[in-house]
Amino acid sequence: MDLELTDDQQLYLETTVRFIESELPVARTRALHDDPRGYDEKWLRKTAELGWFAMLVPEEHGGGSVSGHGILDAAIVAEALGRYVQPGPFIPMNVVAAAIAEHGTSEQQASILPGIVAGEVVVTWAPLDVDGQWDLGRGLVAEVDGDEVVLTGVRGFVQDAQSADHLLVTASCDGEPLQLLVPAGAAHITPLTCLDLTRRMAEVTFDHARVPSATRLASDVRDALERQEQVAVALCCAETIGALDTMFSMTVAYSKDRVAFGRPIGSFQSLKHVMADVSYYLECCKAAAVEAARAVDSRSSDAAEVTTMAASYIAEHATEIAQQSLQVHGGIGYTWEHDLHLYMRRTRTNSTLYGEPALHRERLCEVHGL
Amino acid sequence: MTDPNRDLDSYREQARTWLEANLPLRRSGAALRAAHDISPGELAEARARQKTVYEAGYLGITLPVEYGGQGLTNAHQRIWNEESAAYEVPMPGGIASGVTLGIVLPTILTHSSEEQKRSWIPRMLSGDEIWVQLLSEPGAGSDLAGLLTRATRDGDVWILNGTKVWSSGAMVADFGVCLARTDWDAPKHRGLTWFKVPLHDERVTVRPIREISGSSEFCEEFLDDVMVGDDMVIGDVDGGWPIANTMLAVERGGGAHAQPVGGGPPRQSRLAPDLVELATRRGVAHNAAVRQLIARAHTEDWVQVALARRLMTAMMQGTLDPSAASYIKLGQGIVQPERAAAAMEIAGRTAIAWKRGGSPAETAAVNYLNGRIMSIAGGSNQIQRNIISERLLGLPREPSDDKNKPFRDVLRDAKQWGSS
Repeated sequence: MDLELTDDQQLYLETTVRFIESELPVARTRALHDDPRGYDEKWLRKTAELGWFAMLVPEEHGGGSVSGHGILDAAIVAEALGRYVQPGPFIPMNVVAAAIAEHGTSEQQASILPGIVAGEVVVTWAPLDVDGQWDLGRGLVAEVDGDEVVLTGVRGFVQDAQSADHLLVTASCDGEPLQLLVPAGAAHITPLTCLDLTRRMAEVTFDHARVPSATRLASDVRDALERQEQVAVALCCAETIGALDTMFSMTVAYSKDRVAFGRPIGSFQSLKHVMADVSYYLECCKAAAVEAARAVDSRSSDAAEVTTMAASYIAEHATEIAQQSLQVHGGIGYTWEHDLHLYMRRTRTNSTLYGEPALHRERLCEVHGL
Repeated sequence: MTDPNRDLDSYREQARTWLEANLPLRRSGAALRAAHDISPGELAEARARQKTVYEAGYLGITLPVEYGGQGLTNAHQRIWNEESAAYEVPMPGGIASGVTLGIVLPTILTHSSEEQKRSWIPRMLSGDEIWVQLLSEPGAGSDLAGLLTRATRDGDVWILNGTKVWSSGAMVADFGVCLARTDWDAPKHRGLTWFKVPLHDERVTVRPIREISGSSEFCEEFLDDVMVGDDMVIGDVDGGWPIANTMLAVERGGGAHAQPVGGGPPRQSRLAPDLVELATRRGVAHNAAVRQLIARAHTEDWVQVALARRLMTAMMQGTLDPSAASYIKLGQGIVQPERAAAAMEIAGRTAIAWKRGGSPAETAAVNYLNGRIMSIAGGSNQIQRNIISERLLGLPREPSDDKNKPFRDVLRDAKQWGSS
C-alpha cells in the first residue's frame, strides 16, 4: 500500500505475510466460520509474539514497533490481515491499547498493557449504541455510587465481545460522556450473525452492573474518543486496501485465464475499461489510506479531516470495486466455494464499521464549520 | 564542502528577497489568461518580465548550466515553487508558456542533439521563444499515429504540408514541434519524424478556433509547402514515435523530473471554496444533499493531490512504470466533469441565466461547458484506460487492423472495413 516503506518495514511485511501463509491461509480460515469465538487463542498469542498488539504501546509497558511509527507499522499488519481475511480482534485491541496508553490511569496501564502486548488479555472497544450510532454513551447510563459505578444499558456491534476479557465502553453520567474499562463478565453478551464470516460481533447489555470507579479512563473523553476513532479508521482503511487489492488481483488473473468467443475475456475492451477504472479507484484508495495513516501517526492538525475523507472515499469505492470484481468473474464468483465473497463480506463490513460515508461527509462539512 | 541545509536556507532567503522586490503578489482568484485575450503589447511586456526571472536564475533551476540552467537540485526547485506560489510568476503566452516549459522543453532535453539543446533551451527559458505542440489533426486525435501531415525530402530541405489542430496557445507562439509522416510505406508508428516549425513563416496560417464556451485557446494551423532544414529535425528521421510517447508521458505528469517550473497542485485547505460560495449565495448550504455534494467534491480534490503525490514520488525514483501517469490523467478526466456537474446542481437556476458582470454561477456554467476538457484532451479517458489495462495490468492488447502493414495500405483498407 505504502510505496515508501523503510527496509525494516519491508522486512516486517514479509515476515508477517510468511507467518499468515503458514499459520492461517485463507482456505484454513473457512474452518473457523462456525467457531463461536472465531479464532484460536494459541494463534492469538503467536501473533502477539510478532508484535501485533505492541505497536501502539510505549516501551515501558513492553510495547514498541519496527520503525517507531506505531500506526504506520500497524497499518502494514492491517493490510496483510485484509489480504488474507484474517479473524481476530486486531483493530479493536490496538485501539484500546492506544487508548489506555494515552488516556488510561497509571494503574490501568501497569495492570493491563503487558497482558495485551502478550496476547494474554483480550480487550475490545464499545463506543456504539444498539443501532450502531456514535451516541457519546447515551445508551449506557452510569450512576456513581460511592467508589462504584452502576451501569445500565446497551452497547451495540462490539467486535469480539465473545472472547474479550475487558470492554472499553462509552457511557454517560448526567448527560456527560465517560469511558470505562470494564470486565466482560459484568455484561450479558448476545452474539450477532455477521455479514463477514470471519468476524465476531455481539450486543452487550448491562443490567445494574457494578464496577469499581477505578475503571474510568483519566482524560477528556471527547478528545480520547476522537483519537480512538482516528486510529480505528486508519487501521480499518489499511485492512480494506489489503482485501481490495487481493480481490482485484484475483479478478485480473481470472480475466486472463477465462476464454470466451475464442479469446481471453480480459482482451475485450468492455472488460479492460472496467478493470482500468477499478485499478484507478484502487490507486486512489491506497493514496487516501496512506495519507490517513500518516496523519494519525504524526498527530497532524488535520488528522480528523483526513481520516474522515479517507473513510468516506474508501467506503464508497470499496463497494464499487467489489461489485465490479464479481461482475468480471461472472457465475463462478457467485459460488460459496470461491473466495471472492469472503472479501466482499470483509470490505463491505469495513466500509460501515467505523462510520458510514454519508455521515463522514456531513462530518467533513462540520469540521470545516459549514 | 558547504552544509547543504544551510545552503538551502540561504537559497530560500535569497529567493524570498528577490520575489518581494521583483514580482507582484498573485491576485486571489486570478486564472491563467486565455491566449486569445493576450494583446501584443501585454505579450511583449510579459516576455520582458520572464527574462528578469530567467536572468535572476529562477527559471531552469535544475537544468544543466550549458543549457542556460542553474545546475541546482530538486530541493532548490521545491523551495522556489513554495516561495513563488503566492506571486504572479510571468507566463507571457498563458497556457503556451506552460507548454513550452512544461512539455516541449523536457522532451527536447531528452531527445534533441547537444547543439540543439544549447541553442534552443536558453531561448525558451528567457521567454524569447514560445513553443507549442503541433500534434493532433482533423483526422488523427486518439489515433495520433494515423496522422496525414507529410514531410517530403527535396534536396537539402524538408517540405511540410498538412493541417494540425487543437494546438493550445499557438496564436501567441513562435515555434511548433510538429509530428509529420516521412515514410508512407512503413507501418504507421515507424514513418514519423519531429520537426521544429516557425509559426511566423508566411506559409503557415494559424487560426484560432472558437470553442464551446465562446472563447479561444486552441488553434488550427495550415502548413503549405513550409520549408525547414535538417537542423530543424528533432531526433532520428522516422524515429518520431518514441519521442511522442515521451512527450505524452510528460504531459500526463510522468516526466515531471525535467520540468523546470511549477510543482504538483497544492492541497486546497478550505472546503471546496467555489461550491461553498455557490451554496452560500443561494442560501442552500444547510441542505443535506448539497452538503454531500460539497464534501464529496472536496474529498475528490484531496484524493487527486494524494494520488499525484503517491505516484510522482515513485515515478521520480524510478520504482514505478511511467505509464502510471495515466492514473493521474484519468483521475482529472473523471473528476472534473463530476465536479462541473456538482457545481451546476448547487447553483441551480442561477447558472442558467445571469446579469452581466460575472458571478460564481456564471463561472460554474462556463466550467460545465469546459468540463470535459481533461477527459478528451491529451489522451481521452478511453486511451488512458487502454494504457492502464495493457501496460500496467498486463491485459491482452487490442487486436490491430493497422499496426503491421504499410501506412498506405491502412488508408486503403479502412475504406473497405467491414464490407468483406
